[in-house]
Amino acid sequence: MSARPHRVAGKRLKRIDGLGKVTGKYVYASDFALPGMLFGKILRSDEAHARIVRLDVSRALALPGVRTVLTAKDIAPIRFGTAIRDRTVFAAEVVRFRGEAIAAVAATSLEIAEAAVRAIEVEYEPLPAVFDIEEALKPGAPLVHPGWSDYQALPVFDREGNVSGRSAMAGGDVEAGFAQSYRVYEHHFTTQPVHPGYTEPRTAIASWDGNGDVSVWCNTQLPFDMKNLLAEVLDLPASKVRVVVPGIGGGFGGKLRVGVEHIAAWLARRSNRPVKVMTTSEEELTDAYPRQPTVITLKTGVSEDGLLLAREARVLLDCGAYANSGPATAAIALQIVAGPYRTPNFSYESVAIYTNKGATGSFRAPAGPMGNFAVESQIDLIADDLGIDPLELRLRNVYREGDKGPAGDVLTSVSIEDSLRRAADAIGWKDRRPGPGRGKGLACSWWLTTGGSSGVYVKINPDGTVTVVSGAVELGSGAMTGAAQILAEELGVDLTDITATDVDTNLSPYDYGAQGSRTAFSVGNACIAAAKDLRRQIAELVAPIWGVAPETIRLEDKGVTSGNNRLSLAEVAALSQRTGGGLISHGTSIQPMPVFDPTRVKNHPLPAWTSHSFHTHAVDLSVDEVTGEVSINRYVVAQDVGFAINPTYIEGQIEGGVAQGIGQALSEEIVYDGGRVSNANLTDYKMPTMMDMPRVECILIEKPSVNGPYGAKGVGEPPCIQPPAAIANAIAAATGVRIQALPITAEKIALARAQDED
Amino acid sequence: MSFAFHRPGSLDAAIAVASEHGEAARFLAGGTDLMIQINRGRAAPKHLISLAGLGLDTIGESEGEHVIGALATLDAVVTHPAFQTGLVALTQASAVVGGRQVRNIATVGGNIVNASPAADLVPVLLALEATVDLRGPAGTRSMPLDRFLVGRGRTERRPDEILTAVRFDKPPAASATWFLKAGRRKAMEISVICVAAHLVRGGKARIAIGAAAARTVRVPAAEALAEKEGAAAFREAGRIAADAVSPIDDVRASARYRKLLVATLVERALAACADRLGKDGR
Repeated sequence: MSARPHRVAGKRLKRIDGLGKVTGKYVYASDFALPGMLFGKILRSDEAHARIVRLDVSRALALPGVRTVLTAKDIAPIRFGTAIRDRTVFAAEVVRFRGEAIAAVAATSLEIAEAAVRAIEVEYEPLPAVFDIEEALKPGAPLVHPGWSDYQALPVFDREGNVSGRSAMAGGDVEAGFAQSYRVYEHHFTTQPVHPGYTEPRTAIASWDGNGDVSVWCNTQLPFDMKNLLAEVLDLPASKVRVVVPGIGGGFGGKLRVGVEHIAAWLARRSNRPVKVMTTSEEELTDAYPRQPTVITLKTGVSEDGLLLAREARVLLDCGAYANSGPATAAIALQIVAGPYRTPNFSYESVAIYTNKGATGSFRAPAGPMGNFAVESQIDLIADDLGIDPLELRLRNVYREGDKGPAGDVLTSVSIEDSLRRAADAIGWKDRRPGPGRGKGLACSWWLTTGGSSGVYVKINPDGTVTVVSGAVELGSGAMTGAAQILAEELGVDLTDITATDVDTNLSPYDYGAQGSRTAFSVGNACIAAAKDLRRQIAELVAPIWGVAPETIRLEDKGVTSGNNRLSLAEVAALSQRTGGGLISHGTSIQPMPVFDPTRVKNHPLPAWTSHSFHTHAVDLSVDEVTGEVSINRYVVAQDVGFAINPTYIEGQIEGGVAQGIGQALSEEIVYDGGRVSNANLTDYKMPTMMDMPRVECILIEKPSVNGPYGAKGVGEPPCIQPPAAIANAIAAATGVRIQALPITAEKIALARAQDED
Repeated sequence: MSFAFHRPGSLDAAIAVASEHGEAARFLAGGTDLMIQINRGRAAPKHLISLAGLGLDTIGESEGEHVIGALATLDAVVTHPAFQTGLVALTQASAVVGGRQVRNIATVGGNIVNASPAADLVPVLLALEATVDLRGPAGTRSMPLDRFLVGRGRTERRPDEILTAVRFDKPPAASATWFLKAGRRKAMEISVICVAAHLVRGGKARIAIGAAAARTVRVPAAEALAEKEGAAAFREAGRIAADAVSPIDDVRASARYRKLLVATLVERALAACADRLGKDGR
């Protein structure tokens, strides 16, 4: 870290991709087109669980303009999947959810492709289906994957029948803890499926060249993961697959896994033409990667003065018809139900379960909002019952520096107390019920900064500008601007001197991807490493010319200096081009894994969190005494970001996360009627609007992490974790009504009140 | 989807195209609902007949009436100077249809002929006892809006008739209107329940309710009570209105909650009217 005050890092500078975005010139994947391109459409199942007894594409193939119709039998029968290889490109023989892809068409226009999809004839023989996770666990329940035991899977997950993964953490003696407790509370919570709500639909354009190599332009968050996945399903060496990400209109974890890329690639391969496939809103709400619904039971024992003595938790998580990231999400739920609290005796278990509903995924802070809703609602329930202020109860139990996390890992840079106090102060906690129908609530949590490695190539150009080539995409969060600010700081240039290229897996160094709050953190660290190497190269080039020691060489103010010697960075880069092939470096980074106690953990891929952050949300809201309508008056977030690389875009992340959290708290839900989504459109799937959003007051706490660039911690995911719990707690304070099932609609509040009055 | 797009130069030409194609043709005003129906496969007209540029977009008044052209946009209603005080319910209802882009193109006539039970402007027009003007091959005819609305998506309009305008008597000076809507969010929302009230000093009340039955309805029994004025009468009017309607359970809300909303919103809309009457001395 530089001892000098920062010039670029930490400043509210304009993002490097901003001008293109505000002028409409930025190219998103959905803008991308190729000459002679065909349009692809997907035929989707009308049944939740059925055998396909007849599939006749002849009428579709006969339509003028249709170039290709593909079904499972036309392509390689390869299973793929994140945790478990349980899915194929098209349903073969059996459909497992309503909306599953059965066939795809490529045609010269979208209208013809749509007509061709309608012309495909399918006959089904319905099979017994299961939609409820608790039903799915019962003996004799219909199996979503009768052949589950033959699937390849990551060995970390414990599977059986409809259980796609089972994880556990335990410490101390939970029964003894309950026996010692003054009171033991047991509560049950449920959470709903919600869509990540990215603005740009999932899109892919695939094109094959004369060498039999395929290029896919798409809006994936994980270009290198996508490359490998496509190589698998296309049955090709990975070297023959190139993934390019022109730009992404939001992802929030919903674009981590394959969307339509594989279908576009297969259609292009068979039609010998480039093919573009883009999802519709209906497809987004029936076959995407929404947040998993959960059922959570918490049993917590406390002492008379409110110290947590024991907790048992059981999390059932509905991963839908395909496991995807469900087993890992269920595992992460264990740290979330632990909360940022000292708990000497605990036993947490989570189960990811198959049902005949759409697959689910890793929506921003997977497991976060669900587990936090349960834990932080229960903390308030306990506080109310013990007659202790909810803030005070939390302060008595939160982690302190050096405490051990649930996996026995030592926690450092712990800031939970500070975030609680500052959020509470800002919301005016002393006056928790300022008037009739008005109340305040708070909720706190912790989260990790996901690991994985990053590489960047950094090139100093002979005009003194700097190009950074990274394998990480700019999701819209501003994370690449953050990484560029760090690079500019290290090289002594301005942010406007830095250009970041698009990601092309043929050209970009590897990156673990834009996920897990890691992009600015991890790419920033790789930039620091690259800058260090560039300083070495420059010193070796310039020191002999000046006859000075290499250690005296400094990079500052777009120049290279030593004592009274100075050359501009442009001159040095030009010199290097004339004599040494130019200034270019490869910087890499990886977070070290914390030490943990394996005896506390079973079947968990992320047992100890890296560079964890702590945060508290506080809300002041009013509830209409009859209609139950909730109006948010104020919303405060106190988040430890370690070091605020660019406060403006961190605040943007917090505002956006709060908006998504408010949606999950109050209005959003993918509603299933049996196996059918009954609100598969944006009229009835209710994301919050501007009018539903309060101004979000952001308090950025900077308690440096050990491993982040300049002490930064991951910031992207946490802001959507606490809104459901904070809002539930405020509603309870305002009305006395405690809703334990998300979303907390006005209807639920009003009818619960009407019930209370009866 | 594919259709022929017609841009007739006169109302008679538009009617002639509609007559020629019968059920296969649909008139296009703002298109904010029709295009969604087409995109979702619920309507597949072979001919779309544009009504733009035919002079139907004016909002005017005579000695005794206000006349809103069918092609007047909801935004035009929101900003119309005559609708900012006693007729503010027109503004309130128009201002909560969709977002700004939608209101800039969606029309009053479209809101009516579409006959959605949740149409926001319709309860206000019903409470004002509006009349609709229709023009077809056989000439023009008018009828009360209350008779025009038949059921969900159904009206008395024949396929080759154009709704040209909606008109209503200028309310007396001592009168007020109010509109309230409940939905899951605060904008871009289809009403779970919407309510319009029209109160005239000295004993006339009109109450209309949307999204509580197969069509927007008036509730005469509640109106009779509301005419007595006063908090107790308004509360009772709300209760009677809730008993009178027959909402459904759907993905947006339960019937039980809708009845609760009807009772509350009717009471509040009446109280708001009375409050305005008190304040403005209207």
